[in-house]
This record gives sequence, C-alpha cells and structure tokens, in this order.
Amino acid sequence: MNSIQRRLSVGLISVLIIIGLLLIQTSLWLFETSLHRYFESEMRHESENLLAALVRGPQGIELDQSRISSAYTQPFSGYYFRIEMTDETWRSRSSWDHLLPLSPVTGLQQDLTDGPQAQRLLLYRADYRRFSQTITIIIARDYTPMLRGIRRVQWTGLGLGLVSLISILLLQRMIVARALRPLEQVRRQIAQLQQGQRTDLDTQVPQELQPLVEQINRLLLHTEDTLKRSRNALGDLGHALKTPLAVLLSISARTELKSHPELRNSLRTQLNQIQQRLSRELGRARLAGEALPGAHFNCAEELPALFSTLALIHNRNLQLDWQAPDNLRLPWDREDILELLGNLLDNACKWASSRVQLEIKVLAKGFAITVDDDGPGIASGKREEVLSRGARLDEQTTGHGLGLGIVRDIVDHCAGNLRLEDSPLGGLQVVIHLPNPLFKG
Amino acid sequence: MRLLVVEDHVALADELLADLDRSGYAVDWLADGRDAVYQGMSEPYDLIVLDLGLPGKPGLDVLREWRAGGLTTPVLILTARDHWAERIEGLKAGADDYLTKPFHPEELQLRIQALLRRAHGLANQPRLEAAGLQLDESRQAVIRDGAEISLTAAEFSLLRYLMLHSHKIVSKTRLLEHLYDGESERDANVIEVHINHLRSKLGKTIIETRRGQGYLFSGHAP
Repeated sequence: MNSIQRRLSVGLISVLIIIGLLLIQTSLWLFETSLHRYFESEMRHESENLLAALVRGPQGIELDQSRISSAYTQPFSGYYFRIEMTDETWRSRSSWDHLLPLSPVTGLQQDLTDGPQAQRLLLYRADYRRFSQTITIIIARDYTPMLRGIRRVQWTGLGLGLVSLISILLLQRMIVARALRPLEQVRRQIAQLQQGQRTDLDTQVPQELQPLVEQINRLLLHTEDTLKRSRNALGDLGHALKTPLAVLLSISARTELKSHPELRNSLRTQLNQIQQRLSRELGRARLAGEALPGAHFNCAEELPALFSTLALIHNRNLQLDWQAPDNLRLPWDREDILELLGNLLDNACKWASSRVQLEIKVLAKGFAITVDDDGPGIASGKREEVLSRGARLDEQTTGHGLGLGIVRDIVDHCAGNLRLEDSPLGGLQVVIHLPNPLFKG
Repeated sequence: MRLLVVEDHVALADELLADLDRSGYAVDWLADGRDAVYQGMSEPYDLIVLDLGLPGKPGLDVLREWRAGGLTTPVLILTARDHWAERIEGLKAGADDYLTKPFHPEELQLRIQALLRRAHGLANQPRLEAAGLQLDESRQAVIRDGAEISLTAAEFSLLRYLMLHSHKIVSKTRLLEHLYDGESERDANVIEVHINHLRSKLGKTIIETRRGQGYLFSGHAP
C-alpha cells in the first residue's frame, strides 16, 4: 500500500538523520579544532618554559628542575617532554622509559601517537637555537580524557538525536493524521456509498478535496440519470411495441378466424414468439448490474410490498413466507433484485398448491437465495434439461411472463449460479448463489 | 356490469370494447387521464380497466386521485410495463390487479370475472354461483342441476348482475345505471321485460319484486 503517511515518515526520517549527523559531526569538529588550538598555545608556552629552564651549569647545559612543573616528574602524569640536543636527549621523568617519537614537522602534530599505559598523546614540536646549537623540544599531553569526553558528547548527542527523532515522528504522525482527516472521512464515505448507506458524498470538505468530491457526486448523478433515462426509453419502446402486439393477439382471437384454426394458431405462435423475445431482451437491457455504486436492495423495505403484490396476483389462499436477516441489504440494484425475486416467486406461486417460501441467507462471500414451493416439482432427470435449454417453466400455466429466463439473465449478470433441488416442502427448490461484489477487490 | 376502459391506443381500445361488449358488459371508453379522473368518480362503474401511459395525466396519478377521493371500484391496470418494480408501484397506488400487454383476450376476461367476484365477496369461486345456479360466463349460459339453460345477451348481463348482488334489493334505476353504458338509451320497461323472461326460464320465485324498492334475487326454486 502506498500510504501518504508512510511516505511522509520515510522522507522526514532520512532528512532528520542526515541533518542530525551532519550537525553533530560539524560541532564536534569545531570543538576539536578549538581544543587543538588551545592545546597548541598551551604547549608552545610550555616549550618556551622548558627552553628557559635550560641553563649552563658546571657540567655543561642543565635543566633547572625548580623551573619546570612538578607534573613532569610524576610518572605517567600525562605531561611529558623530550629535549633533543646535538649530543644529548633528555626526557621527562614522568614518561618513565617511554621515549616520545621525534615528529618530522614543527608545531602541533595532526595525528595522535601511542603513549605509556595506553595513553594517546598529542605532540607539539618546537625547534629553537640556543647555546649555539639546535634544541628540539617535544611536548606531549595525554589526550585520552578529551577523547573520552568527545565520545561521551557523541553518545549523548546520538541519544538526544534519537529521542528527538522519535518525538518528531510521533508529532508528525499526529499532524499528518489531523491534516488527512478529511481524506479519511471521504474514504469512509466512499465505503458507505458502496454499501448503499448513502447516495452521495458530503461536500463540506477542505478546498483541496472539493473538486474530487464534486466530480464523484456529478458522476454518480450522471450514472443514475443515464440509467433512469435508458430505463424510461426501454419502457416507452416496450409500450410502443407491446400495445400493437396486444391488438394483434386480440385480433387473432376474433370469431372470424375461428373457421381457420391453422391460420389462427400460426398467428398466435408467431406473436407469442415476438412477445417472449421482446420481453426477454427488454428485460435484459434494463439490468443495471454494477453501474451504480450505491445501489442496494433493502429486504425489510421491499419484501413486504413484493409479497403483498404476489398475494394479490395469486389470489388463492397461498401461504407466502419470507425469511431474511434483520436489516439485510443486498448490494445490487433494487429493480434488478425485485425482478429476480418477483419472477422466481411468481413462478413458484403458479405451481405451488398451498405454500411458497423465500429464504435469504448471508454467506461468507455472498448471499444464498432459496425459493421453495409445495407444487409438483420437476423430476431430477429433467432439471438439467430445463436449465440447459433455457426452457420456460411457466409454459403451461396462465400468464405470459418469462419465468426463469430473465431470472437466469439476472443471475448471470451478478456472476452467480442457479440450482434446482428437491424442496423439503415437496415441490421445487430453486437455490441461487450470488457472490458479493464488494468482496471482489 | 358497467365497465370503464381508459386506454389511449385506439386500435386496442376498439378490440377491448368489442370483446367486452360480446361478454355482456356495458363499457364506456376514455382516452385522456384528466377525463378519467372526473368520470371515474362521477359514474357508478363496477370495474375500471386502466392503461398507465395516458395523455393528459399518467395512469398511476389518475388511480391515486381516485383512491384519495374515496373511490373503491376495483381497478385492473393494463400496461406494457411488466417489471416487478412497476407492478408493485401500481398495486401500492391502489390497483386490484395488474395485467401486462400483450395479453390474451381470454386472460383479460378471466381477470375481470375474478375481480368482480372478489369485489362482491365471492373470491374463492371458479365460477359465479348463487342459489343453486351456476353462471358460465364464457358461454353466457346458466346451469341448474347439470342442465344448461341458454340466455340472450341482455338476460345474461341482467342475471350476472343479480347473482353478484344476490339477497340484496336492487332498484330499477341501479340496474339501468349498471347494465347500460353512458350512450345507450335507458328504458325501465325493458328491464321488466327481461326480468319476466328470466322468471319464465328459471322459475317465478327466483326474482322477487319489492314494490317501490326494486328486485331481490333470492334464488328460491319453484
């Protein structure tokens, strides 16, 4: 998933880490440079002191002990020197048996050298001319405490950096979540739209989202409008064709034709064929399918009206029942589902002797619709034939609906399947499985 | 039985009128929804056949106005719109039955007969029966004890009306209103003549005359 939140976090983390490291390193470098400068002047001073302590004594040149710091006599004190003369090399007592290396250049040495007892030494070399010879003085300072200090500063900086990084991230997360809340709201509304809990998106959104939301609303309206218009047009077409058909059917029943039974029969057959084909194709063209995201069929709202309609049409004391979970909404167009259930139940009512039952169940990934009747049923051997030929089950009873034909069209349209079984009531059981389109993604 | 047919397709209306006339119904025809609203409320029809796609006013609106105005006459919707959503809409608006075009003329006849029987509380009869008489509406004959007695068209419509209102007093004016369409000439004497014919065919006591009130179909066999 390509989340804005994650992208922002990754960007922020990398920028913060780079800047943080750069900041720590630069400040350490600046600190160390000034430290070195301080040590340099300190050690130059020291070397000048040592030079001044060189006096000509009775046995030649001597170091006046009273003029040098006591730190040079204390072993491993961290303060060392080496004095190099033409024929003699002196070293401080503090350095014990360690001989400071003779660095090649004068001034403060860039690199640290190893000293006694694992000390790291900062060296300073100064060359002087005195007593008509070249005197090289090397001063060394134990740098280990500084190193330790620098390390400590590094760790502290790292720790502080981490803590601030985490707090900045948390803060950023909060800010981003707050800034993206309208997006989250739109996302939730689109989900509700798909479940049919709303028909449009709320337009009270930040101005960045306004065009998107308005466009979606416009598309929804447009789709709904187009569907309505095409349905109306189909209805008008049906009306325009079916009314003359009704006239022709009526003419075919006239007494004048009674003396020509074969003429009358072929007229009727052809008219029936036209009618069936027309109804089936118009019915198929009317199907909305998944054109509208918010389409739904509210069982508790629609089924009572459908059942009272059926009871009125089949006015012969049939016991009609339906069962569906409370507040069940089927995620398909209302008219499609009405057409599916209407035809299924109508077919069942035509054949039933006293009872018709509808049950809608929610499955893991879809819905099961079961219609039972206690009529004569269809022998199991014939069911395959009935389904494969697409034969109509209602050919023999009154009414000229299309029965299972349009039912199969709708089931196919919803990518479902249809089975014929023995009903526990004694007649035919039609079982339809419809996969839930919301699970497709 | 007096019927109102509201249908704007003239050819179909012609067929319907001829067909219903042959079946002994007195039929008035209207093609405009606005006229239908008025005439449906003012004339005493026994049943109304209503098309939905009407000029002037849509059929469903006409029906809603009738029902809102307290009209209880059974209404059969006759329409090309055969989808269940539309059927439910029609029955919600107050229709009693719904027949989709194209239809077989016999189917319409059967639906009208069933609707009339239902409206008179005789819902579960496949045939109109009263006092030992069975009316065969397709053959316009009456059957008593298995014997068929043929009737003229006028006698048939009169007997059908009386049988649907058996054990009720029916005035002569009412008979005139319900057995003749709006354009026929109404003559009370003609009714008397037909009543006498029925009495001579089915027995004198089958229809009582209540002086000043009207006729009573009691079905008492002689």
